[in-house]
Amino acid sequence: MKKRNEPKAYLYLAPAILIAAVFWWFPAAKGLVESFLKVNQAGKVLGFAGFSNYMMLFRDKAFLNSLSVTLRFILLFVPVNTLITLLAASLTRRPSRFSSIPEYIFFSPVAISLSAYSLLMKEIFRGTASVANRLLGTGSGWITEPAGAMATLVILGVFLDFGLDYMILMCAFRSIDRNVIEAARMDGAGGWRLFFQIELPLIRETVSATVFLALKDAILISAPIMILTEGGPYRSTETLMFYYYIEAFKSGNRAVQNALSSLVLIVATVAMAVFGSLRRRAR
Amino acid sequence: MRNRRPVDRVKFVTRKFLLAVLAAAVAFPLLYMLSSSLFSARDFNQIHILPETPVWANYIKALSHRHFLSYIVNSVGTALLASILRTAVIILAAFALTHLRFRGRNAVFAALVLTLFIPQEALLYQNYRTVASLGLLDTWAGIIATSLFSGAQMLLVMGSFMSLGHETYDAARIDGASDLMYIHSVLVPLSGPVVITVFIQTLITVFNSYLWPLLVTNRPGSRTIQVGITMLGFAESGETGAQMATITLISIPFLVILAIAKRKIQNALIRR
Repeated sequence: MKKRNEPKAYLYLAPAILIAAVFWWFPAAKGLVESFLKVNQAGKVLGFAGFSNYMMLFRDKAFLNSLSVTLRFILLFVPVNTLITLLAASLTRRPSRFSSIPEYIFFSPVAISLSAYSLLMKEIFRGTASVANRLLGTGSGWITEPAGAMATLVILGVFLDFGLDYMILMCAFRSIDRNVIEAARMDGAGGWRLFFQIELPLIRETVSATVFLALKDAILISAPIMILTEGGPYRSTETLMFYYYIEAFKSGNRAVQNALSSLVLIVATVAMAVFGSLRRRAR
Repeated sequence: MRNRRPVDRVKFVTRKFLLAVLAAAVAFPLLYMLSSSLFSARDFNQIHILPETPVWANYIKALSHRHFLSYIVNSVGTALLASILRTAVIILAAFALTHLRFRGRNAVFAALVLTLFIPQEALLYQNYRTVASLGLLDTWAGIIATSLFSGAQMLLVMGSFMSLGHETYDAARIDGASDLMYIHSVLVPLSGPVVITVFIQTLITVFNSYLWPLLVTNRPGSRTIQVGITMLGFAESGETGAQMATITLISIPFLVILAIAKRKIQNALIRR
């Protein structure tokens, strides 16, 4: 006689299903459906809208600006973040007597919260008369001018991801079998060749995982902008998700809000799926 | 090591130099945080790196800010509550999906994993409406509502549960142990590191989250510290030093925990 497991199993799964339904499935589906409907400010459905909400979005200059800002941020942040964390990890990949000091320094950003780092950077890069200019000997206006604000945002983004990425990459380097490295050394491979032809290829899985995380963070960045620049100057740091936040919570524009949230969902899902399949193919 | 070729020595020095520059750059904001927490308004205006005379009163101002204590209590309370609940929700779900055979198992599993592909950042407004209509604005429940599940962590726990095998479960059932007893006294202790990882990850994520708590709290008394430090009002009244002191106060506990846990985390991540 086989006992039925269904009631028991669903009892254990109920909390997870309930939370996933209320805060993931339901809002995503509702947003997707409503993005094709005419909805008034109060949320009342007035009729079918077809693609007109999306058309409205793509005619909106502020939206197009946020798209190009996000794209620029991705193109700057992802490579810079990857190269810097990889550099730090490779410089400390061999344990030595004092290596735990730089290791701790590189890991320490994990302990500092998003809002704390944002406030710190806001002060350090506050304008022409700033600590950053004093130390670097530059004369940039940083967060008070478009190019400088974007640069500051990239720097802040790197600090927010640095600690964790560094730890993952450094530990991946140290997970490489020592015999492989010794054998390569015996064959005369040293320095650059050992690094680029043996070690780096062996941890490429981990590197691509950190690139993936950076890409996701770059597509979705908004909270640091709220503290650092509030999208300015002249909308130069108004990313897609920041624009969404403004439209949804400040302007209360339901049509734009629904279309935008569905669009971001689709873009994020497609980006993750494409990247995932690229990784699988590279394996 | 002493009788290296000159080329090797140049490489060695270059590497150490690069390391020093990079470490200095990464450490700088933290050092500046410590230093500027003792700044006077003059130090900020004249762009000093070190304070002329340390203003320890900044820390007194930070600690005696009228909302500081409630910010901290709200942050610690919500982070602990969310970690306990999320870990429990995930353990129960992972147990059902790995140890029980039932109709709809694959569908439920796929639907739960789907949450991985739906970034909550894109659902902010819808979720805000839900929490508002449930009357949970300005409550701990509202702050933690969206943090009670994670698809990625469920996969992690499932992986650990699956590696334990079914034999012990079958044996425990024959001995008359209930599922909850089995989970509590066999499954969780045997998956210790994974369960602790999930708990600590959630603790840090919820403690450090900014955007969601900002949206669902309006009263100063119900805000968390991460939202609070952007609204202290110190910077506006020319007391940036007290703001830096507050940031320092909330960062130091985590810097200490990290120093203690560093070796353990490293050992968990290095696979040999």
